[in-house]
Amino acid sequence: MIPIISLMILIALIGAIVTIFTKTKEHARIIALVTSVVTLVGSLYMFFNFDSQSAALQFVDTFEWIPSIGVSYTVAVDGISMPLVLLTSIVIPLIVLYSWNESKNPGKFYGMILATYAGVIGVFTAMDFFLFYVFWELSIIPMFFMINMWGGPEKAYASIKFLLYTHVASLVMLLGIFGLFFGAYFQAGITTFDIPTLLSQYQLFESELARTMIFIALLIGFIVKMPAVPFHSWLPHAYVQAPTAGTILMAAIMSKMGAYALFRFILPMLPFSGSADLMITVLAALGVLSIIYGAFLALAQDDIKRMIAFSSVSHMGFVTLGAVALIPLSVSGAMFQMFSHGIITCLMFMAIGAIQTSTGTRLISELGGLAQKMPKLAFLMVAGFMAYLGLPGFSGFIAEFTVLNFSYISLPGYVLVALIAIVITAAYHLWALQRAMFGVYNEKLGNEIRDITNLQTFSMAVFALLALYFGLNPSPVMDMIITNAEQIVGLMATAGV
Amino acid sequence: MNIGDFAFLIPLLPALAFVITLFFGKRLYSGGALIPIGAIGASFIISLLITINILQNPDQVIHQSVHWFAIFNLGILIDPLAAVMLTMVSFVSLLIHIYAIGYMEHDPAKPRYFAETSLFTAAMLGVVLSDNILQMFIFWELVGLCSYLLIGFWYQKPSAAAAAKKAFLTTRVGDVMFLAGIIILFASLFQAFHGEVPEGVYLLQFSEMFNHIDALAAMNATILGMEVSHLTIIALLFFGGAIGKSGQFPLHVWLPDAMEGPTTVSALIHAATMVTAGVYLVARTFPMFLSAPDALIIVAYLGGFTALFAATMGLVMNDIKRVLAYSTVSQLGYMVLGLGMGAVVGLEAIGVSMFHLINHAFFKALLFLCAGSVIHAIGTQDMRQMGGLLKAMPITAGTMLVASLALAGFGIPGTSIGTSGFFSKDAIIETAFVFGEYSHDWIPYIFAILAALLTSIYIFRLFFMTFTGKSRNNAKAHEAPSIMTVPLLILAVFSLVFGALTLKPFIAFMERTFDNNVISLNIEHLATLGNYDLVLEHGPEPLFILWLPVIVAVAGLLISYLLYYKQVIDVSKVVSRENPVYKLLYNRYYQHKIFTELLATRIVYELISLSADYFDRKFIDTIVDGIGKITMSAGNFMRKIQTGVVQNYVAAVVAGVGLLIILFRLIVEVI
Repeated sequence: MIPIISLMILIALIGAIVTIFTKTKEHARIIALVTSVVTLVGSLYMFFNFDSQSAALQFVDTFEWIPSIGVSYTVAVDGISMPLVLLTSIVIPLIVLYSWNESKNPGKFYGMILATYAGVIGVFTAMDFFLFYVFWELSIIPMFFMINMWGGPEKAYASIKFLLYTHVASLVMLLGIFGLFFGAYFQAGITTFDIPTLLSQYQLFESELARTMIFIALLIGFIVKMPAVPFHSWLPHAYVQAPTAGTILMAAIMSKMGAYALFRFILPMLPFSGSADLMITVLAALGVLSIIYGAFLALAQDDIKRMIAFSSVSHMGFVTLGAVALIPLSVSGAMFQMFSHGIITCLMFMAIGAIQTSTGTRLISELGGLAQKMPKLAFLMVAGFMAYLGLPGFSGFIAEFTVLNFSYISLPGYVLVALIAIVITAAYHLWALQRAMFGVYNEKLGNEIRDITNLQTFSMAVFALLALYFGLNPSPVMDMIITNAEQIVGLMATAGV
Repeated sequence: MNIGDFAFLIPLLPALAFVITLFFGKRLYSGGALIPIGAIGASFIISLLITINILQNPDQVIHQSVHWFAIFNLGILIDPLAAVMLTMVSFVSLLIHIYAIGYMEHDPAKPRYFAETSLFTAAMLGVVLSDNILQMFIFWELVGLCSYLLIGFWYQKPSAAAAAKKAFLTTRVGDVMFLAGIIILFASLFQAFHGEVPEGVYLLQFSEMFNHIDALAAMNATILGMEVSHLTIIALLFFGGAIGKSGQFPLHVWLPDAMEGPTTVSALIHAATMVTAGVYLVARTFPMFLSAPDALIIVAYLGGFTALFAATMGLVMNDIKRVLAYSTVSQLGYMVLGLGMGAVVGLEAIGVSMFHLINHAFFKALLFLCAGSVIHAIGTQDMRQMGGLLKAMPITAGTMLVASLALAGFGIPGTSIGTSGFFSKDAIIETAFVFGEYSHDWIPYIFAILAALLTSIYIFRLFFMTFTGKSRNNAKAHEAPSIMTVPLLILAVFSLVFGALTLKPFIAFMERTFDNNVISLNIEHLATLGNYDLVLEHGPEPLFILWLPVIVAVAGLLISYLLYYKQVIDVSKVVSRENPVYKLLYNRYYQHKIFTELLATRIVYELISLSADYFDRKFIDTIVDGIGKITMSAGNFMRKIQTGVVQNYVAAVVAGVGLLIILFRLIVEVI
């Protein structure tokens, strides 16, 4: 049995190191592309050989790492992580293709993408808390450099804010992990960082206060990363200042780390957190708040990238809402939303990146009538906007409908409020399209505007087609998700939530 | 091989035509127009054959279903209701596509046009043949997308881009209600199944919904202290979707603006087909409305009011397409009113309403295409710059006259002589009379009669202003090419004879919709759930009632004739900014100010959105940065205890970790 996951991480890491030391753009990008395509093959192999009927961990690869403190190296996938691993490995080669002509420090640029890649795959597959934390940090640091070195005018402020905010959150999360570790050690005498073991030990902790504090510590770490309102204020700065590749990495993939942890840790711990009902109420409220608040903020933006950044906050709110509704299919919908949002958001930020490079501005008020000069971009952008606003036929609709439909069974009031956002979401998308792309061409932009390159068209078209494919046929991903969602909810039901 | 096995091709062929035309249309004749025409033609033939089959055997409807994802399915249900709708949509769409070859001849973006109208046709056919409400909603939204794209077809025009957005957003408000209805319906059915849905049972299928109406009727919710049946909530939320799509008050505001699109689009989407989707939705889910207390009464009132309200605005518009747009809103009001009459006549309501829907599709498409022919010839939409076109465009004028007579409802009661509109609209008005007779509520009837009078006035005003009198325009008008006039003539024939030929059998056929091998419902039982007293037999109405609609139609013609042909009084004296009634109508009751400027711009954007943004920047972000600053100053202060001696640091770290462990232990053990 080949250790596919480990190989993927290893290849990405080696690729990252090699790329950093390459001298020319041509070498760097070829290595980056080859690395990411090879790992994509591995990921596709797993996806097609994945047993959707089983909730167990698959493709497990494990060995002892630091036995003295119970650290093991264990990676595996299940229905929660498989779609995200697939998503990540699809996104990376297309990011490389999209930014094919990066000429500022190209070696380091592609190296940072691959390093983040390794970290993220590790986060999604690690079954050991220690390992999880290592990968978690591994994904944050390259992103800091990405913003700091290739970012926009306020890159210094944005990158430091991103690093400190998410780092403080991950330290709080680390405290939570220590809590779990020592709790198990004191109570059962076990020294292990193994995730399934610690999660099952957690239920047995006698102290309710300890349970609550551990729960909250982990929750803070994850919810900042997602982010949910009101812990989102690093996001607009980081998303807007980062280069397009960095924004995509953050929005499409890294925001899923926090959300992923919600399903991996928070939901199994929720029944034992001391006050499950209160936590559900708080989380559902945060989810709906993110949906509505994000939508209204997006409506207010003139910077189109900032608009999509807030839109992203709004869409991630559906993940929280569906997760805490605790109906198997609402949880599934929430997980599907992660996958779907990852695909569509790439298309959005790629489109905006293209606008910025060709016109030099992202302000809607300075654009106008671009569709006449950039018909290919306009076509893909309309597709992306429609997918993002939840038009049926695209994956976003499947996700949002499933979340709303099934969450209503347990959280009716919250769902009815969230429905308001659907109109607002349509409003800011279409209003932006109207002002930026349609109408009379803004002559101030000059006559030099060129349409997107073929490589950009290709990357964006792939995402558009993927969104369409999974909108018409969600089952391949949905089936594996449902199996695990049923298991999670089943465990909670036996715990009496 | 059964013809029903090909049913899936009905929406699929136009969808494939969309892809081909979009990507390869540039290299083909007339922007690839022949591909959609062929595809839609094939869809029409299949639909027609299926309809003939079902006509012979209304018990055997076509039902196919496959698993989709989770606990949802995709399926096809073609019963009498769907069959006639499919045939009408594909037929009208076919004719308009042919007409468009001529109309869009000089437009460089033809491939996009034909691709989008083809996608629209696919989506509309999908709405009609869906066997479950989720799939219907999906196609419903796709139809909305196509409408958006086609209204904004000339996206370089700022007004077109704005109108497209307005249409999408306004209907979106309705769509959200529709979606909420689906969600609540699902949750209620889920509850009826006690959370255990057996494998292979799809709750959102129409047949499942209808079979569990009894369980749903038993559920009540309390809203603002009132006990409301779940069925009423669900039905009215569905109706909310219909209000948006079918341009009923107050969500009708997008439809007149939608005239920014090419006229063929207005004819196809905003007159004959898409806007009737709302009516179709209510007809499709009619058993739910029938068992939902009060729902049908609200439907009736809103429809009647819209019919009258829109007609008043149709009186004063100067843009030929806008007159027709308000006319469409008004006629849709009639259809909705007809559905509401189900409170008294039961399933017959679907019959009369659908009958008007089909006939309206013919004559309203014809009206728009005639208008398109005029616009094509003289290049303006303003009726004040038309006039005297009768001689130059005899075919257009003749067919327009036929369509106008049909819209106004000319015919001879008691015989089978009359235009299509006469039979269908009068059927609704007579049903409203029956409603008044049995419930002593005459308001719907009065709305309907008054609207009929106004209809006749505005449509003949349009006719006289456009085709008679002196030319007020320098353009050299010419008759349209035959690729445009042949569809006009075909539609004119249908506007003339379809009603007379089919009235009784059509309504009887519609009444068979909910009695077949898939769905078999006891209508009287459902009506008792909804507290409606059905009148099963209603005899011939008094002679005066039969003649009244014709009388008002003739009166309307006379008024228009005197005002706009003979010009007995100077209309421009009445039509002035000084006249408050005219001002109110001409400004369309200030809806634009209320909806767009006040609600959307002032309240949603400026008041809520911008202040949320201010709050986010100034409050939330300031707190975060503030914490950072406090930490920095604390750090500066603490720097003083940095000794630089490594041992001290190690000691501090050990002490810190030790403290943490002790603290944690204390927590674990003490509590």
